[in-house]
Amino acid sequence: MNDEVHWPETQVTGWLRGHPGQADVLLVAALLAFSGAQVAQGTTRPAMRIAFVAVTVLLAATVIPRRRYPVAAFGAAAAIGAAQVAFGMQDDAFALALQPTIADLAIPVLLYTLAAHRPRPVSIAGLIICLLGAVAAIARWSPTHGAYAGGAVLVASAGLGGLTLTAWVLGDSVAYRYRRAHYAVVEARAAQMEAERDAQARIAAAAERARELQEKRTRAVDQSATRLRRIERDLHDGAQVRLATLAMVLGEAMENLEHADGDTGDGNHTRTLIGAAHRNAVETLAELRDLARGIHPAALDRGLAAALCSLADTVPIPVEVSVRTRERPSAAIEAIAYFCAAELLANITKHSGASRAAINVSDDQRGMLMTVTDNGGGGAVLTPGGGLAGLRERVQTVDGHLGIDSPPGGPTAVTIELPGHA
Amino acid sequence: MAPRFRVVIAEDAAIMRDGLTQTLTRRGQDVVAAVADPDALLQAVTAFHPDVAIIDVRMPPTYTDEGLRAALSVRRDHPGTGVLVFSQYIESRLAAELIAGASGGVGYLLKDRVAFVSDFIDAIARVAEGGTVLDPDVVRQLVSAGRRADALAALTPREREVLSLLAQGRSNVAIASAFTISPRVVEKHVASIFAKLGLSPSDNDNRRVLATIKYLES
Repeated sequence: MNDEVHWPETQVTGWLRGHPGQADVLLVAALLAFSGAQVAQGTTRPAMRIAFVAVTVLLAATVIPRRRYPVAAFGAAAAIGAAQVAFGMQDDAFALALQPTIADLAIPVLLYTLAAHRPRPVSIAGLIICLLGAVAAIARWSPTHGAYAGGAVLVASAGLGGLTLTAWVLGDSVAYRYRRAHYAVVEARAAQMEAERDAQARIAAAAERARELQEKRTRAVDQSATRLRRIERDLHDGAQVRLATLAMVLGEAMENLEHADGDTGDGNHTRTLIGAAHRNAVETLAELRDLARGIHPAALDRGLAAALCSLADTVPIPVEVSVRTRERPSAAIEAIAYFCAAELLANITKHSGASRAAINVSDDQRGMLMTVTDNGGGGAVLTPGGGLAGLRERVQTVDGHLGIDSPPGGPTAVTIELPGHA
Repeated sequence: MAPRFRVVIAEDAAIMRDGLTQTLTRRGQDVVAAVADPDALLQAVTAFHPDVAIIDVRMPPTYTDEGLRAALSVRRDHPGTGVLVFSQYIESRLAAELIAGASGGVGYLLKDRVAFVSDFIDAIARVAEGGTVLDPDVVRQLVSAGRRADALAALTPREREVLSLLAQGRSNVAIASAFTISPRVVEKHVASIFAKLGLSPSDNDNRRVLATIKYLES
């Protein structure tokens, strides 16, 4: 974790920020360097000097692990400080090793670290320890040096207390800034999660809507197929029957007139009129049949296989029909498949120059697959508004798929995938 | 005038049933029963043993191919009764089912043909006499449909024309007049057709039916 004090960024601070370990080593070096003069002035007894150097180095070294173990490092430095307060203020030879040193600045550094990286109760405890230490140090120090009251104690108190408080406040403000940044991150994450939840809810709602629409479409397509079949049946049972009966009566009347004796001018005229009416009735009957077949192919009532076989017989080239389905699709789907096959066979006859064709129908769990192939010249393309585009639209109304494979020179394969139900 | 035959009509549309009954009666046919559904048809056929039953393909209850099913059971149970199935639409597969294995009179006509009364009555007579009548539309489809090209490849164009009339149930004399050739030439053509289709010369009438079946099943 980096210290978060936001110094103005320079090359030096940038480097320090990027290399916290080295920065701490430099800090240790600086502490030791400033302690150097003290060491030089100190006691002449070599053993005490070595002990003093050791204590100084130990104090300065507590800075090294401060980032990883702030409490332990602070504890170590505070313990040394406490020993100094307890023993270092006397003028005996042993105390010389524990006299206060510049390296004691490691203690406020560690307090700063504690305040920056540990919860406030911990850092306040550290602050209290430091302040108590300062008070004890002044109390121990002033009698020795004859500074019982007045300016010297006040300066020492202000100096040590101010330094301690400053270190804590700096660290605490860093912690505050860090916490704020942390909360911002947490808030941002929360906001993002909420947005994701919203998005998921919208997706779920859209999926639900899509399913509802699909159900509605299935109903609409099925109802429309049923309605078309009923219209065809109404035509079949109504208009077509009446017209056929009318044509029969007209035909009978015409034949009667032809066989009637004694042709008169009137009789001739009547015969012409009835002949015209008869012809009209017969032609209308044929037109009505084509119309009804376009509305609903009655052949489908006997199943797709029978209907496709009969359809295959209406074109002038051999068409192999194979229908292998396990489940009968809905009437609407069968009708789409039938109309597609009819249109494709008509195309093959008109445009492909093929000498034979084949219709294959199979099904699986996903739905029905119809492939119409021919050995003609190929090059069939989907042009906007063309017959194939119309078929594709028809197939797409039930989420089906129409694919064309028709390289120049042939052969051509048109693949139609349809769901089992609209 | 055609000979008088005993006729049963099965047609669910009352107007067509009545119109057909009246027209056939006026033309000297004996309409012994006119019914509206397959069950009544089978009862009437059992009761009256008619020469011919005229049957609409679409009848109750499902209005799909009840007429065809009824025709097949009449043909199976009452070989003496010819069946003439008629329908608003021509379906070659339905014709094939009807004709397959036929030995007695059988016919399949578009309903429009009732407008040509004399031809229709001729067709009734041919079926009543044990002949085969196929609608010209069916025959046209079958002759032009390339799927029969293999079986019919051996036939000359004229033989194919003769076969198409044969399939419609025409007699040699009728075929001869249609092409303005002599009946002798027609006989030669017919014999050649039978030979090429591999039909043995056992029963002449039956072979005419078999030739038709060849059309439908090849």
